[in-house]
Amino acid sequence: MSLSLEGHTTRAFDGDLSSLHVQAVAMGALVIEQVQLAVNAYSGWDRSAATLVLDRERKINLYDAEIEEAALQVIARRQPMAQDLRAVIAIDKVVTELERAADEAKRLALAVLSDTEFAGFRPGAATAREARQLGRVAAQMIRAALEAFDRLDPAAAAVVDQDTELDSEYAAALRRMITRAMEDARQVQSAIEAAFIMRSLERIGDHARNIARHVAFIVGDFDPTATGVLPSTVAVKT
Amino acid sequence: MEAAQVERAGLNLKPSSRMPEDAAVERPVEVGKTVGNIAVDDPIFSCRDVDVFYGAKHAIKKVGIDVARSQVLAMIGPSGCGKSTFLRCLNRMNDTIEGARVEGSILLDGKDIHDRKQDVVQLRARVGMVFQKPNPFPKSIYENVAYGPRIHGLAGDRVELDEIVHHSLKRAGLWEEVKDRLQQPGTSLSGGQQQRLCIARTIAVNPEVILMDEPCSALDPIATARIEDLMEELRQSYAIVIVTHSMQQAARVSQRTAYFHLGDLIEVGETDRIFTNPRHKLTEDYITGRFG
Repeated sequence: MSLSLEGHTTRAFDGDLSSLHVQAVAMGALVIEQVQLAVNAYSGWDRSAATLVLDRERKINLYDAEIEEAALQVIARRQPMAQDLRAVIAIDKVVTELERAADEAKRLALAVLSDTEFAGFRPGAATAREARQLGRVAAQMIRAALEAFDRLDPAAAAVVDQDTELDSEYAAALRRMITRAMEDARQVQSAIEAAFIMRSLERIGDHARNIARHVAFIVGDFDPTATGVLPSTVAVKT
Repeated sequence: MEAAQVERAGLNLKPSSRMPEDAAVERPVEVGKTVGNIAVDDPIFSCRDVDVFYGAKHAIKKVGIDVARSQVLAMIGPSGCGKSTFLRCLNRMNDTIEGARVEGSILLDGKDIHDRKQDVVQLRARVGMVFQKPNPFPKSIYENVAYGPRIHGLAGDRVELDEIVHHSLKRAGLWEEVKDRLQQPGTSLSGGQQQRLCIARTIAVNPEVILMDEPCSALDPIATARIEDLMEELRQSYAIVIVTHSMQQAARVSQRTAYFHLGDLIEVGETDRIFTNPRHKLTEDYITGRFG
């Protein structure tokens, strides 16, 4: 049996649902670009790239508002039930995850743009390399989660959910920051700043994982009376 | 436009709205075996292997389901699926249809309603019915409610009868609107008021179960809301079985929902689950508007 957002007797309902779905995927594509650009801006200390990230942030927010409004309209006008209801709720949540992932990307851009004597620390070569590595894995996770979301594929979503590479990379990066700070007290502040950046990248992975769990919610088996609105085996990180 | 944006982003994400054949949660597609738990603890009605034939037509096929006390059971399904036919089995209304034959076991409080000793008039007092169109008797508001208790001998004198009429109209949420015009014809009331008068008439004879066959389909949204509110109140004292074409109504008023399809009971379960995550594909298709 396949799950499809289409096939309603009222064909306009198909259009409403798939438009929501497509818009969320398109927003996701933009978020991946944001993450990549923000990582480049940070690792290359590139103010123009950071400015572009902030400019595009407005577009992400616009997507967020538009999709939320469209989801509200679908609920009000179509009164979706069962898988359709789960899909509308989950799409809305996926969009929130994407928006938050973009917010994390924005933090990187802001770090570059707030480069003053007291705030913003240009990363050294090692930190820049670590940011690029974490950013690459985080963007990969968002992409994989979005592909699972696009195909409504719970198997692909489960792979993202169980992916621990980013967590390991983050833990290793943190260890190196701590070591550096311990070796040279003058580097404590820059190490803390860099740790916040790594934390942002790690959180992008968390948002990808949450997106994957929302895919499982759309297609999965769950008992709403026992677990609220989420699959029994997961708990969404915030 | 969005698809183009995705492509431009070079991410190779092609929005599709579809998923691989083998990845979705499997839902049964076969009919003939009801999905979900048909039994409840201490049921008021217990029906097993109920078949109904209209001449050669097999309208209900081996349906088994319990009706719980103090609950609303909603029966949904497309036209001709047998939900009203099944409802009418519960107080033997099908007896009045020529050529109709009911087989199987229907126990009310553990006793077979088809037992030879069963008085059908008594049965219909215990199992009252409210129809799609309000059908007050062409009598006064008072007489509409007093008629049942009078023929069943439930009131010893006029004072007791007045009390029953007052109590029934009050429970039906109609008393305040009609207390000053009890002698006016029942047909002078609005549609929603007439339907509540019919409910008052039903509860005047102390039923245990109230059957409702699309009780709001002829009413406006405000009158519908009042009836739904009333159902929530009445279910504290009576079991209610409602047939409705409005899935939103079924979701709002019931605690259990049963889905019928071409004479088969496809699925029964807690309303909370049926409308968020039904188990059977036919149920899913029907409630999401993909039927047929």
